[in-house]
Amino acid sequence: MNKQAKGGKFDRALCIVTVCLVLFGIVMVYSASMYSAEINYGSEYYFMYKQMLGAVLGFAAIGLMSIIDYHFLEKWKYVILAISIILLVLVFIPGIGIESYGAKRWINLPFFSMQASEISKFGFIVFTASYMAKNNKMMVKFKGILPVLLVGGTICVLIILEPNMSITLCMIMLMLVMLYVGGARIKHFLILAVPLALLVPILIMIEPYRLNRLMAFLDPWQSPLGEGYQLIQSFYSLGSGGLFGLGLFNSRQKYLFLPFSESDFIFSIIGEELGLMGCFFVIAAFMFMIFRSILIAQKAPDRFGCYLASGIAAIIAIQVIVNIAVVTGSIPPTGLPLPFISAGSTSLIVFCAGIGVLENISRQSHRGVLFLSSGIAQNALDKKKDKQKVKKNKK
Amino acid sequence: MVISIAFLFCTLFARLFYLQIIQGSSLSTKAAEQWYRDLPLKAARGVIYDANGKILAENKDVYSVYVRPNAVTDIYEVASALSQNLGLSFDKLYDRISTERVSEITVKKAVDKETGERLRKLNLDGVYFTIDSKRNYPEGNLLSQIIGFTNIDSVGQSGLEGYYNKYLTGVDGFAYTETDIKGVEIDGAATKYVPGIPGCNITLTIDANIQSFAESAVMDAKVEWKSKSASMIVMDCTSGAIVAAAITPSYDLNDIPRDDINLLNALTKNTLIVDVYEPGSTFKTFTGAIALENGVSEKAMHYCKGYHMVDGQRIRCWKTIGHGSQSLTDGFKNSCNVVFMDLALSLGTERLYDGLQAFGFGQKTKVDFYGESAGIIMNESSVKTVDLARIGFGQAIAVTPLQMVTAFSAVVNGGTLYEPYFVESIDSYDGRNVFTHQKKVVRQVISEQTSEKMRDYLSVVVSEGSGKKAQVEGYSVGGKTGTAQKYGSSGVAQGKYVSSFIGAAPIDDPKYVVLMIVDEPGGYVYYGSMTATPYAGRVYAKIADYLGVSVQILAPTIEMPELTDVSLADAINIINELGLYYELVGEGTKVVSTIPVAGSMIPEGDVVLLRLG
Repeated sequence: MNKQAKGGKFDRALCIVTVCLVLFGIVMVYSASMYSAEINYGSEYYFMYKQMLGAVLGFAAIGLMSIIDYHFLEKWKYVILAISIILLVLVFIPGIGIESYGAKRWINLPFFSMQASEISKFGFIVFTASYMAKNNKMMVKFKGILPVLLVGGTICVLIILEPNMSITLCMIMLMLVMLYVGGARIKHFLILAVPLALLVPILIMIEPYRLNRLMAFLDPWQSPLGEGYQLIQSFYSLGSGGLFGLGLFNSRQKYLFLPFSESDFIFSIIGEELGLMGCFFVIAAFMFMIFRSILIAQKAPDRFGCYLASGIAAIIAIQVIVNIAVVTGSIPPTGLPLPFISAGSTSLIVFCAGIGVLENISRQSHRGVLFLSSGIAQNALDKKKDKQKVKKNKK
Repeated sequence: MVISIAFLFCTLFARLFYLQIIQGSSLSTKAAEQWYRDLPLKAARGVIYDANGKILAENKDVYSVYVRPNAVTDIYEVASALSQNLGLSFDKLYDRISTERVSEITVKKAVDKETGERLRKLNLDGVYFTIDSKRNYPEGNLLSQIIGFTNIDSVGQSGLEGYYNKYLTGVDGFAYTETDIKGVEIDGAATKYVPGIPGCNITLTIDANIQSFAESAVMDAKVEWKSKSASMIVMDCTSGAIVAAAITPSYDLNDIPRDDINLLNALTKNTLIVDVYEPGSTFKTFTGAIALENGVSEKAMHYCKGYHMVDGQRIRCWKTIGHGSQSLTDGFKNSCNVVFMDLALSLGTERLYDGLQAFGFGQKTKVDFYGESAGIIMNESSVKTVDLARIGFGQAIAVTPLQMVTAFSAVVNGGTLYEPYFVESIDSYDGRNVFTHQKKVVRQVISEQTSEKMRDYLSVVVSEGSGKKAQVEGYSVGGKTGTAQKYGSSGVAQGKYVSSFIGAAPIDDPKYVVLMIVDEPGGYVYYGSMTATPYAGRVYAKIADYLGVSVQILAPTIEMPELTDVSLADAINIINELGLYYELVGEGTKVVSTIPVAGSMIPEGDVVLLRLG
């Protein structure tokens, strides 16, 4: 298992685009937060320094994970899953969990606080990739996908209790994408769709503010100072940017008009300062990163690597799309950071680690596999390989 | 998978394109509204001048002080500095700055320039200033009910300030400052100024000099006769321009009693325009003019036996023993009620009413002032013969002082009724003329000939009759006195009179019509000839002096003789010998008292009062 790949290599382009996005993120975090940081923390560099520390650790994570054989994760999957779930539980213990904006999402560590759900997303990916790789023949049956649903469901329930609706929805989407990649049947999705559809009104009943948010999304101008406020401010940012933007550091909305301008709504500030052109380049960079990750998944040396890479690509794609959809008012507003760019060390380090894992898979990949368009095709291909493996193991 | 991801990104990009390019300008406009704080730069209100260019209302720079709590670094310092300098409560201010959840607090408006500048030099964080202009009235009490006042935000509330508010108000400018959401100014942000446009300047028909004559006349009258109030209106009868309008009691426009609403209403009421009074005998002028215009014979003689029987009702003349045989000239001179009852009765209701309506009674004059009254005149169809007779000598009718001078002007100026007005011209701040008053002829009421005859009669009243005290040496005055019992809600108000004099000068080519009203003179002297007429005389004398007409006000003085217990006939003889004139009060054959008392020095030709018993 520890064999080096047959001619695979470090994906330099993926690494460069990641580093570029992280560095760009530091600049934008500084720009977006300089005013609020000065007012709330006494230093305009407060968030930038934190983000720089996160970036250093993130780059270290890329390096480390690209060296460590990703199969290490498969071995330790139960430990990783256990840690993920324990962290999610720890959030609720007073003194360890930090409450902010009415939600318990962070764990207090000596040097910095950590968002538990960020870790659990990757814990889930590792577990699911490993499970699906081992039990790929079971995936066509409903019984086969149940363990994935069970683990995913547990994590979802813990996150929703924080409460954190947005990460929960991301988890559900991630789960569905991974099951799809793993070869689950469409009809099983439909079975899943029923309870999920029921979940929406239940969640709204638990926290009625969600309905207001939903309504605000449909017409934010109805409550410009209430639920619609944030969305309207985001529109103001984007609209003021126009084609070329107001210029780097020239955002006006960051003067406390746009809440969470350095985190969940940093894309609005990018749009305001750099215009549609800036948005285009950021979206292009993310698309490149995602497609590059999918390519790595397709070239992965084994099923676990493929699923793991797919999962990482999926979570990046999901978060980027949901985040931009939120700031542009395309879906109901929900707090979700933009990977690699939004202020937040946990998210940054974990995503960087994900890139590191992708690099390691890339290094171990084999040549000769042509472009394939979906995991199902990979599935078919893998079946052949598995037979060989089985033979090998028998020997 | 790749395709679906690409599709989603393209959709999002399209959405971005919609927001940033298509909706961009409208969104950025809305956004800009919240990026700037605009402080209004008050445009200067127009100046009000008198006819000679003297300033009656102007602006004084004052500061408005604001605090933006979020920008305050030291609440204690700010609160103490502001409370000390502005005379406010420290605790209250401290409380407001620290607890009020607003971005901006208006601490005080209309802070005088000196204090404002002193505060400004302290450079307190979070304290902002705007320079406003506050209305200032250099003449204080002068013309207060006419000019009116503005509220603290310089919006005209009453008087001409209210009526011409639209012209006087300028267009405010703005100072735009880039701020954060809480109104804190952004470092290095430039403040943009959009200057305001000052309001228009207004030139009145009022002549401040003549106004001051009128003001001192009404004040003197009020003090000397302990009257409830006194008022005077002076009109240029050749145009309808109101030259002076004085009412006492009055108030200082720079110190308006805003806290006492009843007092404020009482003091600010322009009784010359919004209130009516009983004209009494001065109204005989119009009965006479209408009769002459309708060809009633001037030569006809009337006989006054002290009363007139109308429809079996005895209507008395003021002189209960009767005037005897009276020509029209005598009628005016002696103000004989019987003569004017005769005239009214011979005219009949229709002709008298047509005439009164032509003079503008019962209608608003359309003067440029809010709240004008139309006067009270009986419905023509319900006028009985008794009423007709009463109206003839000025009873059963109430008019506004303004109606009175306007109509009287027509009587003496050749018969033309002009629309009265206060504003001669309006000019923009840069000198462009916006409006200039053109004389507005309402109608020709009487002929030039009738007017000329009326001038003669009125002249005689002053030279020989009850209007003697209005005489001015070298400046011919003509006019008519009047004394009327006031009417309350339950008929005649006992002991309450309104005394007046209305006149014109120079009577052969009239320019100024003066109406002097003394409302409820105290004591038992209430005749218009005594209480009102002398003040009109004083004003005419001053006008003559002011106009450069040579006058000798000093007439030789004589001593008032002792007439108490002397029979009426003897007393009249003594008075006539001395060259004095008399009026009688009460009924009887013996004089019980006189005014002035025996031994007083009085000018020759003065009118004295004899009380009979």
